[in-house]
Amino acid sequence: MTRLDTMDCEFPETLADALELMADDTTRGVPLSGGTDLMVQWAGGVVAAPQRVISLAGLPELKGITLKDQCVVVGAGTTHAELRASEVIQARLPALAAAAATVGAQQIQARGTIGGNVANASPAGDLAPALVITGGAVVVAGVHGERRVNLTDFFKGYRSIDLRADELIVRFELPVNPDGSREMFRKIGTRSAQAISKIMAACRIRIEDRTIRSVALAVGSVAPTVIRLTELEAWLTGRVCDEDTIAEAVRRTVSAVSPIDDIRSTAAYREWVSGSMIRGFLDAFFNAEARERR
Amino acid sequence: MAAVGTSVPRRDGREKVTGRTAYIDDMSFPGAWHGVVVRSPVAHGRLKGRHLDPAFDWSQVVVVTPEDIPGENLVHEIIKDMPLLCDDEIQYLGEPLALVAAPTKDLAREAAGYITFDIEELPSIQTLKEVIAQYKTDEGKLHKFCAQTIVKGDIEKGFEEADYIIEQEYWAGHHEQAYLEPQGLVAVPGEDGSVLIEGSMQCPYFVALELLPTLNLPPEKLRVRQAPTGGAFGGKEEFPTWLGGYVALMAMKSKRTVKLIYDRHEDIRYTTKRHPSWSRYKTGFKKDGAITAVKVEFFLDGGAYGTLSSIVLARGVLHAFIGYRCDNVFIDGRVYRTHSFPCGAFRGFGAPQAIWGLESQMDLMARACDMTPHAFRLRNAVVPGDTTATGQTLAECEACGTVLERTLEKCDFEAKLARCTRGAQDADTWYGVGLAFFAHGSAFTGDGEARFKAKAALDLALDDAERPVVLIRCSSVEMGQGAHTVLPQIVADGLCADLRFVQNPLPDTALVPNSGPTVASRTTMIVGNTLYGAGRKLKAKLEAYASARFFESQAAILKDSVFSAGHDRVDFEEVALAYLKEHGPVRVEHQYELDPKIAWNQETFEGDAYPSYSWGCNVVELEIDRATLQIEVKKVTGVFDVGRVINPMLAMGQLEGGFLQAFGYALLERIGVRNGAYDADRFQTYIIPTMLDAPPFDFEFMEYPYTFSPPGAKGIGELPIDGLSPAVANAIEMAAGIRMTEIPVTPESLFEALRKQVKS
Amino acid sequence: MKEVTRKWIINGKERQVTCPPLRRLLDVLREDLHLTGTKEGCGEGECGACTVLVNGDPVVSCLIPAGQVPDGAEILTVEGLEETDLGRLLQEAYLEKGAVQCGFCIPGMIMSSYALLQRNATPTELEIREAHAGNLCRCTGYVKIVEAVQYAASKLS
Repeated sequence: MTRLDTMDCEFPETLADALELMADDTTRGVPLSGGTDLMVQWAGGVVAAPQRVISLAGLPELKGITLKDQCVVVGAGTTHAELRASEVIQARLPALAAAAATVGAQQIQARGTIGGNVANASPAGDLAPALVITGGAVVVAGVHGERRVNLTDFFKGYRSIDLRADELIVRFELPVNPDGSREMFRKIGTRSAQAISKIMAACRIRIEDRTIRSVALAVGSVAPTVIRLTELEAWLTGRVCDEDTIAEAVRRTVSAVSPIDDIRSTAAYREWVSGSMIRGFLDAFFNAEARERR
Repeated sequence: MAAVGTSVPRRDGREKVTGRTAYIDDMSFPGAWHGVVVRSPVAHGRLKGRHLDPAFDWSQVVVVTPEDIPGENLVHEIIKDMPLLCDDEIQYLGEPLALVAAPTKDLAREAAGYITFDIEELPSIQTLKEVIAQYKTDEGKLHKFCAQTIVKGDIEKGFEEADYIIEQEYWAGHHEQAYLEPQGLVAVPGEDGSVLIEGSMQCPYFVALELLPTLNLPPEKLRVRQAPTGGAFGGKEEFPTWLGGYVALMAMKSKRTVKLIYDRHEDIRYTTKRHPSWSRYKTGFKKDGAITAVKVEFFLDGGAYGTLSSIVLARGVLHAFIGYRCDNVFIDGRVYRTHSFPCGAFRGFGAPQAIWGLESQMDLMARACDMTPHAFRLRNAVVPGDTTATGQTLAECEACGTVLERTLEKCDFEAKLARCTRGAQDADTWYGVGLAFFAHGSAFTGDGEARFKAKAALDLALDDAERPVVLIRCSSVEMGQGAHTVLPQIVADGLCADLRFVQNPLPDTALVPNSGPTVASRTTMIVGNTLYGAGRKLKAKLEAYASARFFESQAAILKDSVFSAGHDRVDFEEVALAYLKEHGPVRVEHQYELDPKIAWNQETFEGDAYPSYSWGCNVVELEIDRATLQIEVKKVTGVFDVGRVINPMLAMGQLEGGFLQAFGYALLERIGVRNGAYDADRFQTYIIPTMLDAPPFDFEFMEYPYTFSPPGAKGIGELPIDGLSPAVANAIEMAAGIRMTEIPVTPESLFEALRKQVKS
Repeated sequence: MKEVTRKWIINGKERQVTCPPLRRLLDVLREDLHLTGTKEGCGEGECGACTVLVNGDPVVSCLIPAGQVPDGAEILTVEGLEETDLGRLLQEAYLEKGAVQCGFCIPGMIMSSYALLQRNATPTELEIREAHAGNLCRCTGYVKIVEAVQYAASKLS
């Protein structure tokens, strides 16, 4: 017997049924997707176990990865294993494919989902930086209809997202990495695999003639929630990507983050390495662009 | 054909790969109750009272308090200061105050929640950092459990002779054994007042003997059986004695079978770890590299009680200066109390902490006199005939510096050294190579084996299929290290019969003599030799029988499972069957004889500190990413003398596994004490290496058999965990140009150190 | 609390279970079905000792609510390995190469090996290491486990 053995769970077969359950106080429960975060928290007593749980596993409406009008639509129930294996994600959202490959190990990737990862709203959520650099949106639904929220706005703060009690995350609409631009993702964890991140960053950038035409940068695990470095992005846009620019970008990154000391790392290291990661991205893109010109 | 020296597949392997091996939590105990431990919420305090809330129906559970202990409320370890259940001064957070047994674990937990305690909280000192700060100002306020010095020559004279003197402090943190199977025991009460304890453990006789005065039982009323054990590494050496006390008390009071199985969280929080250490090396040496003086302060954080810290300290000081010549040595070892969970046994047992400091200091000395790390070591490495810090003259069966020479050649150390970046600012990746050379004393310290008198036996009996079988009877356990394969190999050779006739059942104190605890790298060497002797005796017995029964009193010789006299031959099986039919099962017992030349003074620590030593040398190559300061070990090369290698495949597995634990100790496994509790207390936060972290290992053996004890094995279990940390720190200095003096070395600590270096 | 009933094919045999909906699959296997080969090493999905295959995917059974495993799902545990050619091949490889020490991680480890070789009969060393990174072993240093999987793969081709 564990705490889990005392809990109730509903298994709706359609999204509509699930939303019906969520609509009413008397039937509502905590949504459960792959369980890789919540099962640990409930079993270990890290968070109070809820009275009722609504299982989203197997809801057909939450599955699938499709490319539509330069936008990849990803169902919230898509697993990390499906993300990293998807040719569409690999080709069009390479940072997301790379991020999904760093979530836990294969056993976790087989169960954990993109919707669950976002809903869990951990500052160390592995997918968040790769999602927010797309400039995409999350679509949430309730019985009265859908609502589309920009991902950057969706992450509100520490363990806080823009999701009402009666709503479920149903899909993500992620603009593809346009031709001519590149994406990168890097995670530094507590070890080489099966690790929670100390820090991670994602980047989407287009450089032409050594000039940064467009750029999106995001860092995770350095603030209460994932942060998009919008001021730095604006400053970088239109600039020639040279050593001076990179050095200033590093300074601005370091001042934009607000990391803490915790069991996994230190604030000082995270602050420094967030700058290093941005330097690494810009260096890599700059060099790649220079190689192409040659 | 000899079994020794061949890579016989693990004999308990098939049961393990099929999932049939039943560990303690897999066994069925119908009707068993479950126990929980009720713990102190404070790190230091005075227990004033205890209340059972009447709102709970106490008739459904059994509560055990100190008043229920039939004998003395004491855990009998080396230092006898720890109560089984605290009834007065609380010394650490989590100290057991009461026990609850109930039909279900949930009910036991619920009941525990209705027990409250009045505690007057007292000020506490929780970490070794606080202890050392206090030591440097006013040590009078510290509680010292024990101390041990080693004195050789005249240390002051040694410093006077020196051209250079350098001094450096080294720190090492707690280290969790992290066996994959958590701690677990079951106690079954008998109608006659006896108790059977069964479960995961290294030392059945520790549990069987040390609990007698606590439980107030005569020896025949306490029986202990080892269950298949899913890893131990020292973590199941003395701790199961405490756990056995808890579970036996609950079984005795409830008169029911009681299970006490920890989950991982409880296991990390409330079981023993490797002692954190602080050492300060002050060494003097000449311009030509000759070491003239070594002064070491070697202090351990014992945690809240003395437990077996005095013998951890003994092994620590005995390894604080080993492998090199020096006429003037002074080693000052101490163990201090902190109000944190008591520390205990972990593979290496003080030696890894000592060698961490010593082999780091060797590189500092080499640099100071402008020698390479290897030239400096070769200059000072011992050879047979040299004397150790305790005055022991090293025998011909010691490989000594030969393993160092072979390692340097094997990895082309000189060429690698030339590639080191030494903190070059223009390199994107720093590269470094580091070396450590070390020894590990095999078996109990000094004449410990002579005093202990390990006994082991062989039973010739019929198995279930009515075939003759030789059963190994000893208390040494299989815990993954391969004893139940290696010991039968040795017995087969002692007996001169095929391995298929030899079986090794799990130990049961009702059936086996006391061959000692499964610790101290002594099982293959000491118990192996004892069983080899028993094998010889059984051989002689059966030869005498065969001679009379089959060969008309001609002298018979057993070889390769065949008795022969002249041209006549009879199979082992036929002789054994005939013997069993005539005489029934027979037991032969043998006792270990320590080399009588071993002379040891346990007071002054002078003389022969160990019957023999294993030797090792390892070289670490690593890279450091300048952008993140992540440290990637590219390769570890090593050469090891563990005496005669009984089973090369299993022995290599010991090296590889021990090295990966050492890798975690050096680079990953950080655990601190915060508010009295470990801050990394789950597998999510206590980070052990995965398959992707593990570096490539390139290891080989050099065999220098311990000739006094056939078949000549020395210790292997602990050697591989001794020398990696300093080699890593030495390689980091060669890569990054900075000396790291605390393990684990993390990107964060390297960042801090480099930042300080820039500032100064 | 409303119990659920599920019909699964476990190690090739149809089994029906009725249990609390969020009961861990691990507890259903070990306690209700007495399949104790699968181990609990941490209970939070970190160590992989409880790895089983559900419809071919390696998963940590300590994090799976039984109710989420649908009717008809095929579950393979260490006890079922002997019934399969690949399972027997892996068991022999683990023994021959010395991949086993204390054995507690092995029931999970070998399931990850099975899942890998079923999908990829010619894995690189990196692929092998990645496929087992969710299975902690404290005894072996992993060297001989990698060798065992390589050896089994070589016998497949």
